[in-house]
Amino acid sequence: MAEVILKNIKKVYPYVSGEKKKRKKGGEPEKKTNLQITDEGVVAVQKFSLDIADKEFIVLVGPSGCGKSTTLRMVAGLEEISDGELYIDGKLVNDVAPKDRDIAMVFQNYALYPHMTVYDNMAFSLKLKHMPKAEIDRKVREAAEILDITQYLDRKPKALSGGQRQRVAIGRAIVRAPKVMLMDEPLSNLDAKLRNQMRAEIIKLREHINTTFIYVTHDQTEAMTLGDRIVIMRDGYIQQIGTPQEVFNHPANLFVAGFIGMPVMNLFDAKLIREGQHYFVELDGHRVHLSEEKCARLAAKNVESQDVTLGVRPEHIDLAEDGVSARIDVSEMMGSSVHLHLSAGDRDMIVIVPTVDMQGLPHMGDTVCFSFKGNVAHVFSKEDDKNLEF
Amino acid sequence: MHRNPIKTFWKNPTRRWALLFLGPVTAAFFIGFVWPFIQGIWLSLCKFRLISDAQFIGLDNFTKALEDPTFRHAFWYTALFAVVSLVLINILAFAVAYVLTQGIKGSNIYRTVFFMPNLIGGIVLGYIWSMIFDGILSHYGTSILMETKFGFWGLIILMLWQQIGYMMIIYIAGLQAVPEDMLEAARIDGANRWQTLFRVTIPNVMPSITICTFLSLTNGFKLFDQNMALTAGQPFIIQPDGSAVKTTEMLALNIYNTFYGSSNTSPGVAQAKAVLFFILVAGLGLLQLSYTRKREVQQ
Repeated sequence: MAEVILKNIKKVYPYVSGEKKKRKKGGEPEKKTNLQITDEGVVAVQKFSLDIADKEFIVLVGPSGCGKSTTLRMVAGLEEISDGELYIDGKLVNDVAPKDRDIAMVFQNYALYPHMTVYDNMAFSLKLKHMPKAEIDRKVREAAEILDITQYLDRKPKALSGGQRQRVAIGRAIVRAPKVMLMDEPLSNLDAKLRNQMRAEIIKLREHINTTFIYVTHDQTEAMTLGDRIVIMRDGYIQQIGTPQEVFNHPANLFVAGFIGMPVMNLFDAKLIREGQHYFVELDGHRVHLSEEKCARLAAKNVESQDVTLGVRPEHIDLAEDGVSARIDVSEMMGSSVHLHLSAGDRDMIVIVPTVDMQGLPHMGDTVCFSFKGNVAHVFSKEDDKNLEF
Repeated sequence: MHRNPIKTFWKNPTRRWALLFLGPVTAAFFIGFVWPFIQGIWLSLCKFRLISDAQFIGLDNFTKALEDPTFRHAFWYTALFAVVSLVLINILAFAVAYVLTQGIKGSNIYRTVFFMPNLIGGIVLGYIWSMIFDGILSHYGTSILMETKFGFWGLIILMLWQQIGYMMIIYIAGLQAVPEDMLEAARIDGANRWQTLFRVTIPNVMPSITICTFLSLTNGFKLFDQNMALTAGQPFIIQPDGSAVKTTEMLALNIYNTFYGSSNTSPGVAQAKAVLFFILVAGLGLLQLSYTRKREVQQ
């Protein structure tokens, strides 16, 4: 149980000697990501500041190479911090060895010791602390009970399935009752069904162990369901920090809007029109009045009429008698809803229509009209992709 | 419906062609290995000068071999050499491999340098090192041929120099196969460098340890050319009966010297020694394999 504070954390991977020479000779090196490349090296994480409260569950989410795992590994002490300060429980730990940080970590590939039994895997860290045998036994059995792996304690990891191995890895972490529990994509190696099951178990696990969690994933569903707060990252920078509801309802920029939510948010070229304290968006001649809350936010920022990127989530679009017309390209029956892939002019978009509201299934090639309400329209600047409400 | 199993067997084209492809290798294996091996065992039970004049004499050759003090001395000397070289080669090769997998600068160059002695033949190596040792020992008014311990440690140093690089390559492959996140997990679990090495890394390189200990044990027992070139078994100890025991003579060299000895029973006795030698090396090798294999783990 502890507060974790990251202050302006930066991570630079320096060039290996040959790479630097190559760069000097041939100018810019081949760019594989959008990470910033400086004379010092590749900047994997920068300006990362975050206060994590005691017992909070924080999820770092973002696409591959965004710096989320690097950040977690810096908290773990497995990567050196190039700049900035890291505090765990009020203590500056930049130069403290991983074993002295009182943290535990669950790895994507389980990282179990294959030559030890499940029991020994879980007891390893306690044995290194020279804890009395009886206490080790009690702690291991207690953790095994919570994770329902008591019957596997005498087995070696190779005799376990992926899900069972991951439970052992979690067990190995919780026996230590760490101040901070770090999880690096722990469910990525599991199949979809097992992943859902384990996700639910991690939620339950929080009831049993009162500790601070930092969880890394690239899966936005995991982020939304597990996190008290989500940190969305891209190219080494934080894009937005907020509760799942906040980032879903008020995405800070186009990247967050596109990353959170499935299917992804529909984006249109539209016009934002200001009339006094009232704001409208106009799409293909169809005008929608924004909600009072949104108008107030835009007015507070003194946003003027301009061309914008309009974002509306597929589940927030309604088929209507009157509105913007579009043609149905593909209709996907999902059971409780139908996903309609529409083309409106030169734009492709998706609409989710609950089947309970439908009278007969729509056909491919049909023309429909759609509309949306003012409280679900997001307006993003054309210049910097930022949400104009912020 | 009843099917003729022979006809069914030949219907499969892989089986039909198998004989053609397997035939040459099988024939070569029988001619080059199985037949000489059987003949060797047969000859160990015979008195012979030429293979064509072999006369069966039962276990006489084995009795003579076991009564031969030079053979008994060579056996214990070889056993001591094999154990010492096994331990030293493996500890040093593992240590070098461990250091060279820690990401130090120039490790590729070091790997090449350490491996290079392997490319030199045993006889050449033996003569070069005998000159080096004699060059050093001459300052103290002695020579490698003057004392048994010089010959023993000289041969150990020579073998370390030659074998460490080879074993190092196998250990490097093993160390590189240990998953990085497992070592990181150990660091987080609170293990220091030594605890990680002994409790996580070494148990996970057991397959390499199996191969390297097997190779160094059998190499130690079978050593011949380096032994012959470095000391040729010298110095001698004269026995009360007037016979000489070569104090640095190993088993393989002893068998060789016996085979080309003056007595007309020598080839048969040498053959019997060779069979005993085979049983010893194969037995020890298998014993060691089964011991270390049990400790191997699967990821």
